[in-house]
Amino acid sequence: MATFSITVNGVQHNVEAEPDMPLLWVLRDILNLTGTKFGCGVASCGACTVLADGHAVKSCVLPIQSVENQKITTIEGLSADGNHPIQVAWETIAVPQCGYCQSGQMLTLAGLLNQKPSPTEDELEAAMSQVLCRCGTYQRIRQAALLATKKSKL
Amino acid sequence: MTKVAIHRRDFLKISSWSTGGLMLGFTVPGFSAIATTLPFSECDFFQPNAFLRIDKDGTITIFVGKQEMGQGVNTSLPMIVAEELEADFQKIKVEIAPFGTLAEGAHDTGGSMSVTGSWDELRKAGAVAKNMLVNAAAKRWNVNPGLCKAENGTIVHSTSGTSLTYGQLACDAASLPVPTEVTLKNVRDFKLIGKEQRKKNLKDILSGKNLYGIDVKIPGMLHAVVARCPVLGGDILSVDDTAAKLVPGVVTVVQYSGTGTPMNVRAGVAVVATNVWAAMKGRRALKITWNEGPQNQESTDLLFQTFKTRAKETPAKIVHTAGDVDAVKTSKSLSLEAEYAAPFLAHATMEPMNFIAEVKDGKCELWGGLQLPDWTVNDISQKCGLKKENIKVNLTAMGGGFGRRLQFDFAIEAVKIAQQLNKPVQVIWDRADDLKYDNYRPANYHHLKAKWDKSGKLLTWEHHVLSTPIEWMTSGKKEGEIPSENVGGAGKDFWYGIPNVKTAYTPLDFNIQRGWLRGVEPVQNVFAIECFIDEVARKMKKDPLQMRLDLLKGRQPFEGIWGGTVAPERLAGALELAAEKIGWKNKRPKNRFLGIAGHMFFCDSYAAHAIEIEKLGPKKFKIVRIVSTIDCGVVINPDGLVNQMEGGTVFGLGQALKNEITVKDSKVEQDSFFTYELIRFNEVPPIEVYAVKSEARPGGAGEVGVATVSPALCNALAAAGMRPRELPIKNAGYVWET
Repeated sequence: MATFSITVNGVQHNVEAEPDMPLLWVLRDILNLTGTKFGCGVASCGACTVLADGHAVKSCVLPIQSVENQKITTIEGLSADGNHPIQVAWETIAVPQCGYCQSGQMLTLAGLLNQKPSPTEDELEAAMSQVLCRCGTYQRIRQAALLATKKSKL
Repeated sequence: MTKVAIHRRDFLKISSWSTGGLMLGFTVPGFSAIATTLPFSECDFFQPNAFLRIDKDGTITIFVGKQEMGQGVNTSLPMIVAEELEADFQKIKVEIAPFGTLAEGAHDTGGSMSVTGSWDELRKAGAVAKNMLVNAAAKRWNVNPGLCKAENGTIVHSTSGTSLTYGQLACDAASLPVPTEVTLKNVRDFKLIGKEQRKKNLKDILSGKNLYGIDVKIPGMLHAVVARCPVLGGDILSVDDTAAKLVPGVVTVVQYSGTGTPMNVRAGVAVVATNVWAAMKGRRALKITWNEGPQNQESTDLLFQTFKTRAKETPAKIVHTAGDVDAVKTSKSLSLEAEYAAPFLAHATMEPMNFIAEVKDGKCELWGGLQLPDWTVNDISQKCGLKKENIKVNLTAMGGGFGRRLQFDFAIEAVKIAQQLNKPVQVIWDRADDLKYDNYRPANYHHLKAKWDKSGKLLTWEHHVLSTPIEWMTSGKKEGEIPSENVGGAGKDFWYGIPNVKTAYTPLDFNIQRGWLRGVEPVQNVFAIECFIDEVARKMKKDPLQMRLDLLKGRQPFEGIWGGTVAPERLAGALELAAEKIGWKNKRPKNRFLGIAGHMFFCDSYAAHAIEIEKLGPKKFKIVRIVSTIDCGVVINPDGLVNQMEGGTVFGLGQALKNEITVKDSKVEQDSFFTYELIRFNEVPPIEVYAVKSEARPGGAGEVGVATVSPALCNALAAAGMRPRELPIKNAGYVWET
């Protein structure tokens, strides 16, 4: 066990964990932030996506020691009141069915927009194709992503 | 308006719903209220049945008896209650009906039956409450109830305009007898049903606050990750857990044997730890020798070879006959035969299997998502030696169901582990567990034959279905009984009007657990039926849509597999709508081709898909657009329906293009989304959904949108000169551009 300093949603934590514990399990089991979801454990589904220093990362394969001192944003911290333009777009389009993958979907888009405020269609596809939705809400995710992209340009 | 009688059996078990002192507010249909003799100050709320409660502060809570897994029952079912109650839907609170507050089996969620199966009961639940509130107001004002009208959460006195809110009337209503009959609204007077409503928990979902089973934390809870016997029916020979126990965070290692039917839980070694990661690491450190048992050499390669051989042999069972197919003789040019195949498939819900159990002093408490909680409790009671009345279930939302959580192997595992601890424990599966130890859709194979006369009249239809039946896994093999998997068009519910029909079945054994996957048998059989009818039409040089419509006209309404009436003309309506929207008769650009397919699902719904493709090479294509149509009668929540149909289409598209489970040495070979490929964002073409306008009793929409994607796609490919007959089509070298 060792102590790691990370900032999650603006709050600095000193976390006691094994150095190889993935960020996902630090968030879920130690910090009790369950909005970040476990989907596969091998970065194949994107359900666990969070932002690390603004970049979208798969938290299930990122050992805590590799993100020390980074600023992590989870779905709980994307906005204070659920009114981030991406969340608003998802709400407007009524995207979710079961909703399990949607935090990963929204944070993947947030990461993309941090890098490319006006992404091309190819860039959007490349980013969003990393996150699976078994309910099949992709058409709505696309509509919401386009809506959020427009809004974030304003 | 329809008058309906209210019987006490409509609303069972209210009395077991104990909330201590708050019991005073209860009335039970058929019984006088017990609050009558009590001072008003002791009444807190009005609850005429298990589905709704009106607090005296005005809060209206609707309890959802069906399990939410993305299909939208926590919106559609409360809408039905609120419609008859005349309540403001925006102000209504929605909660999960606690397990045990409904009759045994009423919490069950499957078969796309939630809306259609709850329709009458939920309308009555709302109407009963409204009736009692009206009577309460009339009594308070000392007027004729006929002058009191329910409107948007208030009762209004029509001559004076005076009004009281439902909250103000709650305790008055609680003291009144439950009516013996109520009047239901006319479908045409619906104000809420048919208008788009949002999920009450939409904001929670979008801010990470919606709790799924995997998110539940019980004080003191441990986590367990299980090493399961790689072959079903095998057992543990020896375990060296020395290294596992040295992993920081690991608390203990426990073992249990497998169970038989219905869930066929595999023997397991569970590493129990203070966090999930430690349990996962601990499992990797286990050294286990397994006795794989005798059935450890099976493979899907061999299974499909056997299917192919057996398909042309005498079937094990004749399922349905009409006329006499054998008496009809036609030349080879007036007949056709074809075979179709589809693989085992996994559910792959995004939320992996998980379940929490705590067993203490003979009492057991459970937390998690279940589609069939009563069966779960009954079987756990038997398998784990617990008294049924000592098992308490806390139901949670599910991150996807698709039939996976109809089975409850994971819940049995949690109890077997919890029985060896003195703390609550959550068993959690990783994705490899989920894909390797699922209850798979049966692999299936079809041999079809048809004959027609020179005038183009289709005379015979023969369909031999071969599969690895679910029933043999969930009920065991029974001497002298041959199950069949012919529903969904390969039995008496075959919907085309052809004079001579014979459908048959041959089961084959195979040593992996099988179960119900979204769309179940219709998906298996409709692929073959809807491709073959298309092949027959093409060989006869007829328009494949027109031939279907003609054959549907030749079939009278008939009794469905699950009761009710199957109306072939409604299927024709869904097909015609799909054809119109895809532009079936329009001129198309070069290399663009259309395919269509339709079917009916036993939840009283009919659906079709029409797909336009662009041919890009000998086996290369692009899907240009997909039209999905449904006739499910009255639509409760239009946007929820569209979302279900879009999702069903994507689900079906995955099965058409690339989903496949393969088995070697009785072990499933897929262990991640890299090997069990699902449809991704970039692969989804534009999908348009249309519903047939109807006042028919509502049917279900969860599954009916899956089956016709594969045949519609394969029929479009056939129009372009390709004809895949095996799913997924990638196996035959087909490639698609996104």
